[in-house]
Amino acid sequence: MLGQIKYAVKYVLGLDRAGRHYTIYPDDTFLVSYPKSGNTWVRFLLANLMYPNEIVGFANINRLLPAPGVLSKRFLRNLPRPRILKSHEPFDVRFRKVIYLVRDPRDVAVSEYHFDLKKRYIEPHVSLEQFVKRFIAGETSSYGSWWEHVASWTAARHGNPAFLLVRYEDLLTESIGETAKIADFLGIPADPERLRTAVERSSADRMRKLEKQQVDQWTGTKNTRKEIPFVRAAKSGGWKQALAAHSVEEIEVAWYPLLNFLGYQLQTRELDSKAMPAWVRTGQPLQWP
Amino acid sequence: MAGIERGLGLQRPGRSLLILPDDIFLVSFPKSGNTWTRFLLANLRFPDEPATWANIDRLIPDPTGTAKRVFDRIPRPRIIKSHECFDPRYPRVIYIVRDPRDVVVSQYHYHRKIRKIEDGSPIEKFVARFLAGETCPHGSWGQNVATWLYTSEGDPRFLLLRYEDLIANTARELGKVVDFLHLSAGPAQIAQAVERSSADRMRKLEQQQPDKHGLFKGSRRDLSFVRAASSGGWRSGLPAPMVAKIETAWGPLMQHLGYELSSHSTSGVGEYASLGVVTAAPR
Repeated sequence: MLGQIKYAVKYVLGLDRAGRHYTIYPDDTFLVSYPKSGNTWVRFLLANLMYPNEIVGFANINRLLPAPGVLSKRFLRNLPRPRILKSHEPFDVRFRKVIYLVRDPRDVAVSEYHFDLKKRYIEPHVSLEQFVKRFIAGETSSYGSWWEHVASWTAARHGNPAFLLVRYEDLLTESIGETAKIADFLGIPADPERLRTAVERSSADRMRKLEKQQVDQWTGTKNTRKEIPFVRAAKSGGWKQALAAHSVEEIEVAWYPLLNFLGYQLQTRELDSKAMPAWVRTGQPLQWP
Repeated sequence: MAGIERGLGLQRPGRSLLILPDDIFLVSFPKSGNTWTRFLLANLRFPDEPATWANIDRLIPDPTGTAKRVFDRIPRPRIIKSHECFDPRYPRVIYIVRDPRDVVVSQYHYHRKIRKIEDGSPIEKFVARFLAGETCPHGSWGQNVATWLYTSEGDPRFLLLRYEDLIANTARELGKVVDFLHLSAGPAQIAQAVERSSADRMRKLEQQQPDKHGLFKGSRRDLSFVRAASSGGWRSGLPAPMVAKIETAWGPLMQHLGYELSSHSTSGVGEYASLGVVTAAPR
């Protein structure tokens, strides 16, 4: 009862954490991705681009590029519009304008494994092989499986002018060009000098330094295992060394139509002789745009 | 006021509904036979309490129409109504899909009933808004259907039913639900549920209980909620250019679902026309 009263008071004052339940405006833009797909990096890139006079760090990133899940409804209400908000939600029809960041799920699995160890979401003895099985089943995240997440967004919005699909891998190899695309989509003025500065200020090295300094000032790293860094490899293709061959095969067999659609090269040969994903077994598969 | 409502559990949970691991969701785009299926499932699951407009929100609750305190008392596993697009939190889903050409006609008349549009309002205007997903808060028909099919088709926790099949052979389709939910209902119970959920009975109940459901409040009494309850009405109710527009936008998705196209205008013009055209072959 006391808890209910406390919540009712917080609710009335607008101090309850917004979570999934906050007012969304038609002019909002969302930076959406499955977790561990480079969302924090892009938040840094955009914050550095939009606020060249601020020193962007973990201590102020929740304010500069807000994450509704950890902020109060009052804070979100009082933000100047149009707002740019971070999100890990699977398809939400209320999000009109979306930058959708996608990453090779084989790298996402490795990244999420280390992150979940850091956060103590999994016990230290859980192996990466065990983790991958649960990852494929969508049991490691409250946002659904990687497949469900990417499929829900691309099925509903691919080709829509208010939907920008960005690959983490392209952002790594073509940081300035891809950031320019995002800036253009958002209507943020960005000359080459400003883009270069934003990319530099958001480099993995700089973010690692900031993480060390501000580890207790950010919801993402507070109360986590400090010996495991949040900013880890910041690379693509790490799965080739990290994942067991059968784990790679499990991911590819489960999700290859979407991997193909996104241009992620498969390693498993002759996939059609293996057990097919459920949607193929139904006989009349949907095909990807 | 909202704080007091919350303290007493009178608020409608909406999207903040606490989902339980054994919950079953009855999902569809609006005007796709959801209410009829709610009656069918309620009559199947609770044979001692025939479904009416007065009790349906308690038997098969609706997060946007049923108070939280009622939700908390519903026997588990709960069967919950929803019109939402894909939601990974739903543990098991029965998804009802209906030919969008019939859906748009049904929604047009429903909007007349609830006074959102005037009599004689041009159907052309309505179809344009329907295609853009502006006639309800649950996305466009194509978005709603695509988010569910692309993520979940073939998953053993996902049962896809076509409204047209439900109309053609209600008992057979209900048998699929019985298997899916592992219910113990036999043919006699299925037949009883079908009988108790017939369009005639639902129409009579609607006349007797015009004030008993939130759907009817403030709506026009001269138009009934339970309308034709049939399939293919679009052939006479929808002008050919409007049919072509819908088929252009969602042709491949419609064909995937077995809805035969009447026009040949699906050459990749519409926003979603690309869905299904290009084959993704493994490399």
